[in-house]
Amino acid sequence: MAQTRRDFLKKTAALSAASYVGVHLPFDGTALAGTEEGITWHPGTCRLCGSGCRLELGVKKGEPVGLRGIPGARTNFGYLCMKGMLFWKCMRHPDRLTTPLYREKKTDPFRKISWDQALDIAAARFADAVRQHGNDSVAYYGSGQALTEETYLFQKIMRGGLQTNNVEGNPRLCMASAVGGYLTSFGADEPIGGYADMEKATCFFIIGSNTAEAHPVLFRRIMRRKLDNPEVKVINADPRLSQTSRIADKHLQFRPGTDLALLNGMANVIMEEKLYDQNFLSTYATFRQGKEKKEVSLDDYRKFVAGYTPEKVAGICGGNITADDIRQVARWFATATGTVSLWTMGINQRKRGVWANNLIHNLHILTGQLLKEGADSLSLTGQPNACGGVREGGGLCHILPGHRLVKKEKLRNQVEDAWGIPRGRIPPKPGYHTMAMFSAVNDGRIKAIWINCTSPAQSLPNCDHYNKGLAREDVFIVCTDIFPTRTTEYANLVLPTAFHFEKTGVYGCTERRSQLTRKAIDPPGDARPEVWIVREWAARLADRMKDPVISQCIKPFSGLDASYDLPRAIWTEYTQKVTKGRDNDLRGATYEVLARMADGVQWPALDEKYALTGGTTKKFVKGKDPLATIHSQNDLPYQFYGPAHPDRKLWVWLRPQADPEEMPDAGYPFYLSTGRIIDHWHTMSMTGRVPELLRANPYAYVEINPRDARRLGISPGDMVEVRSRRGVNLLPAKVYEGPVEGMVFVYWHDQEESRMINKVTKDAFDPGSKEPEFKICAATVRRVSGPRPLKPFLVRG
Amino acid sequence: MPIAGVVITTRPDDLEATLQALAGFKALEVHASDAEGNIVAVLDTGSLDAMEGLVREINGVRTILSVGLTYLNAEDEIERPGSGERLFGLRSHQEQ
Repeated sequence: MAQTRRDFLKKTAALSAASYVGVHLPFDGTALAGTEEGITWHPGTCRLCGSGCRLELGVKKGEPVGLRGIPGARTNFGYLCMKGMLFWKCMRHPDRLTTPLYREKKTDPFRKISWDQALDIAAARFADAVRQHGNDSVAYYGSGQALTEETYLFQKIMRGGLQTNNVEGNPRLCMASAVGGYLTSFGADEPIGGYADMEKATCFFIIGSNTAEAHPVLFRRIMRRKLDNPEVKVINADPRLSQTSRIADKHLQFRPGTDLALLNGMANVIMEEKLYDQNFLSTYATFRQGKEKKEVSLDDYRKFVAGYTPEKVAGICGGNITADDIRQVARWFATATGTVSLWTMGINQRKRGVWANNLIHNLHILTGQLLKEGADSLSLTGQPNACGGVREGGGLCHILPGHRLVKKEKLRNQVEDAWGIPRGRIPPKPGYHTMAMFSAVNDGRIKAIWINCTSPAQSLPNCDHYNKGLAREDVFIVCTDIFPTRTTEYANLVLPTAFHFEKTGVYGCTERRSQLTRKAIDPPGDARPEVWIVREWAARLADRMKDPVISQCIKPFSGLDASYDLPRAIWTEYTQKVTKGRDNDLRGATYEVLARMADGVQWPALDEKYALTGGTTKKFVKGKDPLATIHSQNDLPYQFYGPAHPDRKLWVWLRPQADPEEMPDAGYPFYLSTGRIIDHWHTMSMTGRVPELLRANPYAYVEINPRDARRLGISPGDMVEVRSRRGVNLLPAKVYEGPVEGMVFVYWHDQEESRMINKVTKDAFDPGSKEPEFKICAATVRRVSGPRPLKPFLVRG
Repeated sequence: MPIAGVVITTRPDDLEATLQALAGFKALEVHASDAEGNIVAVLDTGSLDAMEGLVREINGVRTILSVGLTYLNAEDEIERPGSGERLFGLRSHQEQ
């Protein structure tokens, strides 16, 4: 009997796979009815990257038993990666935090306390800090992994209740430069197109992204496109040869930090060879320069890029790049029927990350590779809700929900009115950005900080420097999380939260797409959804501070069931009142609509009928974007209504090559870069607890080019010291034809003290986006010994 | 013992060589393939750990470009993490 059931399950698995590629199998599903008896399947979104893959969690007797992709989802068409397939193992892991923990002093052990006690303590400490040190002595530091409802409610309480804009999140560390790039080039944040362009593109320009490992399911789409259409060109520009390079027609391996020169070099070819779209440029674009955003002419731009001849740029970039390579890829980019650019942290985490983003957008504007099918300038996001929750939901210090700038009174008033609180309640001054926030922790200006669903003690660059602040006894720290982390080690109060599928809410992925995940199982022990925690905390704050405005902030949510009604009410307030009339108008994307969609809704979506079509695939295009029609001012098909460009044009920027903050020198002769590996994610608090993923890559290593290794006498597996002016790591060597000569690469997930690479990275940041330059610093590399036995490590409380 | 459905992708020209290579994996059953280089297969392993290792091995076959997972049933394994599965050699903070 068991064998029969197993055979049936195998046939079910085969049918599932066959359905995705349209292959017919000699059996059908009819006879398999009942195979999965007792299993209910619950739709949701994957938890472990920004692609937004849709999947179903299989639940039997209240326990998770499996996963399957959703074939009808336009994000992933049913495909998942191994990491995504296994994240459910976190749900019943014995390390889960299941009860509130507290300690008065950070040197004391934690003790278990009740929720009532925990919420009273949190309220008392935040209220005391505000009373004694002012409103800006408290802060919230959130996450691109928090649900939109969570980020929105946290920032509402901080801004409307505690009257501070000290609201930040870890997307500052990964996506802020992309935000700055979109705003300054297109006048509005977030991409114009989306994944659907991949199936129409005839050229892919992948720069600063190891898509194959960081976004494997999207990489599969690109790969499939290339295999089905060999004439499609794939350009991969990266100082490191990676899995992504496998399908590239051309891999441009440039020296770290020379990317701006490379991009200007491609623009030079486009101008010199008249590959630009004159009609598109004269109709839709202007040229801009400098802080004052001075408008300049096409000829000025031509003269500017004339200084970036392919020969000169090849010399700057070094590596394997020739002048002819630059000419060739520029021609492919410009002459394709549709070009899609893709990038992630390799571009964003730079001292001039916004400029680098601008220069990619420049190539698209110059060539008209935008707004049409198969063409887009698409920044990939690393976290499942950096876009939806933090960028759109008001999760950064300078923005309110609905892409509103804090500093604009009219926009503050709109939010205050929507919340029913007095005008003037939200302070006009933006709060601390991430690096400033943790500097303020360091010097004691912040007295109480709430850290939600993220681990800055490991993820901040130059982390030892900032961890001194986290260790201060006069800084009260609350952590909400599912597992112990390097950051909970600094906390006074640790609050256990519900995990994905243990609560209800919305994630918004890379392509402006919002997707609902409903609660499918109960959280373990006494873990609770964040929305419940914030509401109950705010109620106590209101009592302690005798402030009816704080009560008003949570009044619409009073008494609602936290598993569904509460997040639904928060989403309803956010979408119906706060996104109304904004470029991310989500009024049509109600919970009821999202529940009916295999893959959610792309904004803008002004009403339910439209949202049920899937929403807007191309922003700014009349006939495809309802706001383009509403804001139309002429007969042109494209209408750039973004709030940042009053001239309603796309802006081509004159941005020069800019070196990294720290360059190799005699004392620190190597470039150090960091990144992800396919099996792990962020600080490994989740993937490190999935045995199958941990065993695949139990600890970090340093990748060294074979020529550098030979010169330094380093053999595979040798223990190697990687040292910068800030800190040191001791790592096993992987001698590998990956990084360009003169560069080493370390993945950043490991929690072990001697292998936490952010002790070594530099905390310089982009002056515009405030995003740190994780990707490049100077380091020494030295062989310490032969191979040593190593063990994986996780903080386990 | 978990069961997974996968679509393995190879270049069409490499299809035959890839199918031959896959025939060497005992825990893998090929159910179908097409001219576009898609191979429909089922993985049936003794544990999720073995499955992760198998996917890694398949990915290591020179002609294979990707292994796309579409389905996983692991109901036999649900007791393991819940009962406190010990990760090999894992040090806790206190053990440092």
